[in-house]
Amino acid sequence: MRKYRTSYPISWRIMDVLEAAFASIWPKGGGKYTPYLMLAPAILLVGALVVGLLYIGDSSLRVLDRSTFLFSDHWTIENYKRAFSESFTLTVIWRSLLGAFIVTFFTLLLAFPYAYVMVRTSSSFLRKFLLIALFLPFFIGQVVRAYGWLIILGSQGIVNDALGLVGVEPIRLLFNYPAVLFGLIQYMLPFGVLMLAPAMTAIPEEVEAASGSLGANWIKTLWYVIIPMAKPGIIGAGLVVLTLSLTDFAMPAILGGGSQDFIANAIYDQFFRTSDQGFGSALTIILIGIGSMMVGLIFMVFGAGTLALGSEKK
Amino acid sequence: MSFDKKFNRRDLLKTSAAVGAAGVTTLAMPSVLRAAEPDKPSELIIRAWGGPWVEALKKGVSDPFTEKTGIRIKHDLTEDNEIQPKVWAAVAQNRTPPIHINWDTTTNATKSALRGVCEDLSDLSNIAGTTDLAKPVGVDGYPIVNTYGYVYVLAYRPSAFPDGAPKSYHDLLADKFQGRVAFYNDGIGFHFPAQVAGGGKLEDIPGNMAACWEFVEKMKAQNPLLGEDPDFVTWFQKGEIDAACTISTNALGAKKNGVDLAWTVPEEGAKFDTDGLWIPKGHSESDLYWAKEYINSALTKEAQQVWLDGLGLPGVVEGLTPPPGVPVPDPSYPTKPEDFDRLIRISGQVQVENESEWFSKFKQIMQG
Repeated sequence: MRKYRTSYPISWRIMDVLEAAFASIWPKGGGKYTPYLMLAPAILLVGALVVGLLYIGDSSLRVLDRSTFLFSDHWTIENYKRAFSESFTLTVIWRSLLGAFIVTFFTLLLAFPYAYVMVRTSSSFLRKFLLIALFLPFFIGQVVRAYGWLIILGSQGIVNDALGLVGVEPIRLLFNYPAVLFGLIQYMLPFGVLMLAPAMTAIPEEVEAASGSLGANWIKTLWYVIIPMAKPGIIGAGLVVLTLSLTDFAMPAILGGGSQDFIANAIYDQFFRTSDQGFGSALTIILIGIGSMMVGLIFMVFGAGTLALGSEKK
Repeated sequence: MSFDKKFNRRDLLKTSAAVGAAGVTTLAMPSVLRAAEPDKPSELIIRAWGGPWVEALKKGVSDPFTEKTGIRIKHDLTEDNEIQPKVWAAVAQNRTPPIHINWDTTTNATKSALRGVCEDLSDLSNIAGTTDLAKPVGVDGYPIVNTYGYVYVLAYRPSAFPDGAPKSYHDLLADKFQGRVAFYNDGIGFHFPAQVAGGGKLEDIPGNMAACWEFVEKMKAQNPLLGEDPDFVTWFQKGEIDAACTISTNALGAKKNGVDLAWTVPEEGAKFDTDGLWIPKGHSESDLYWAKEYINSALTKEAQQVWLDGLGLPGVVEGLTPPPGVPVPDPSYPTKPEDFDRLIRISGQVQVENESEWFSKFKQIMQG
C-alpha cells in the first residue's frame, strides 16, 4: 500500500494553498491570463537582469570627465568608438574569443569519453570514482584551483622538480597563454561532463549493440550513432563552456601573469582601476553582444531543437 | 549692590584680560577642537589593506585611538579601488557611506577629491606639525591628508647581480634576465623612469611620452612578468624573478620572509608617491568629528612611529626613527630634501587625468 505522502506530494499541497490564496484574492480567477501569471517569477528574474543591463547600457553612452570624475549628461558613442579603435581592446577581444573556442574544443574532446565511460561502465566502483573525481573540484573554488596550478607548475613546483630529477633545467610553464587555456580546460571539464552525461544516458545501449550487429566497428558506431544522438548534450556543453570561458576572469588573471588579459579583466580594470565605468560598461555590452551572437549563431547552425527545446531545426 | 563694590578697576582689567586671552586662544584653536565634543559613535569603520598593512595601522593608530576614546575601530579590508564606486554611489544618492575613513593611495583619493566627495580636513590641528609631504599635490586644501610616502624601487636578488646593485634599468636588458624581471601589470611606477631611460625628459610628461614607450618596447623583449603587490613577494620567494620595479614595502616584506633581497634607486630615478586618509561626505556631524579625530591622531609622532615601523616607510612628521632593515641614508627612504633629488614626483591630478591612457598603452605593448 502506497503511503499518502507519496500519492499526494508536498509540492501539490503547496500548489493547493497557493491556488486557495489566489482564489481568495481574485475569486473570478485569472482565466486566460493564468498561464501568464505563472510566468511572473521568471519575468521578475529576467526583468531584474534587464534593468541592470539598461543601467549598464546607459553608462556605456556617457563619457568620463577626468577633471571632475563625473559622467557626461548627454549620450555619445565615444566609448564604443574608443573600444573599436584601441588596439589593446581588440587584442583582448580576439584573445578571449580564440581562447573560448580552443577551451571548448579540448573540453568537449576530454569530457566526451569521460562521460561515456561514466555512463556505460558496468563497474560501480569505477562509476563512483569518476563521479567523485567529477564533483570534488566543485568544492574547490576557481581561484584556489588556479593557485594550486601555481604550486604545481611553478619554477620550483612539482613538475619542474620532477624534470630536474632527469637533468632538465627548470622551464617556465606558467604566465603564458597555454597556461591560461590549460587552467580553463581543467576548470571547465566538470561542466562539460555534467552536460554530456544526461545525453549519453538517453542513448539506449541496445542501439549501439544493433549498430555492432549490423557490422559497424566502434569508430563507425561512435561517428554515425553515438555522436549524432548525443548532439543535444554536445551542443549544450559547448554553449556552457564557450560562454563561461569567454567571460572568465580568474584564470587569465592568475595563470596569465598579468600578460594574458581576457575581456573580463579589461572590464575590471576600467571599473576599478581607472574608475571609468562608462568605458567599462561599453566593454561589458560588447562582451554580452559577442556572447549572444555566438549563442545565436550556434542556434542558427544547429537549431534550437538540438537542445531538445521542442522544435526541429529551422 | 554697586558696581564699584563688586568690580573694582583691577578686577575689571583682570577679567578683561582673561576673557581676551580666552578669546584669542579660542580663535587660535582649530575649529575641530573648538567645537564641543559630540556624542561618540560605537565604532568607526576604516578601510585598510590587509596583512601587515592593517596590522601596522591597528598597532600604531587604531588601538591607541580606541584606548583613548573608547570608540571601537573596525577595519574594512575591501580593496581601495573596489570601495571607491560604493562610496561614490552612496554620496551621490545621499546615503551614509559604507566607511568612515578611506586609507587610500593619493592618486586614487585624488579622483574622489576631484569628484567632490571628500570632507575638508584643513582644520585638523596636527597638520601644523607635518611636513610638506602631508599636503596633496594638485588639489585645493586638504581633502586628503597624506600620511607617508613610498618609492617604486628597483628590487633585486643580490646573487643575480654579482657586480653590485643594478645602476640603471638598462642593466635589466641583459640576456640572462629574459623572463626574470617583473613590473606592475599596468606599468605603474615604471612609466616615469622609463621616460628617462628612453632618453626623454620628465618635463614632457604627459604631452610627449614617446621615449617611455620606446623603452617599454625594449623591456617587452625581455618577456617580463606582470603582477600586483602580493605577486612580487611570491615571485621572489619562489625564485621566479631576479629583479622587479615595486614599492619598497614589498621588498622589505620579502626580506623579512627570509628572501635575500636588496633594492636601489637607479640612475633614471624612481617614482615617489604617497598614501593618505580621507573621509567621504555623508556622515553625521558626530561621526565626522570623531573620524577627523582619528586622522588627527594618525598625524602624531607616536602614532606615525609605530605605524610606519610596520610598513618601513617615511612619515610626514619630523624626527621619526627609521625602522630596522631600512637602508638609511638612502633615497628609497627619503627623509632629507637631497634624497628627493633622485625621486620623481608627478602631481596626482596629472596622473589621474592620464593614467587610463598610460595603463592601456603599457598593456598594449606588453600584451600585444
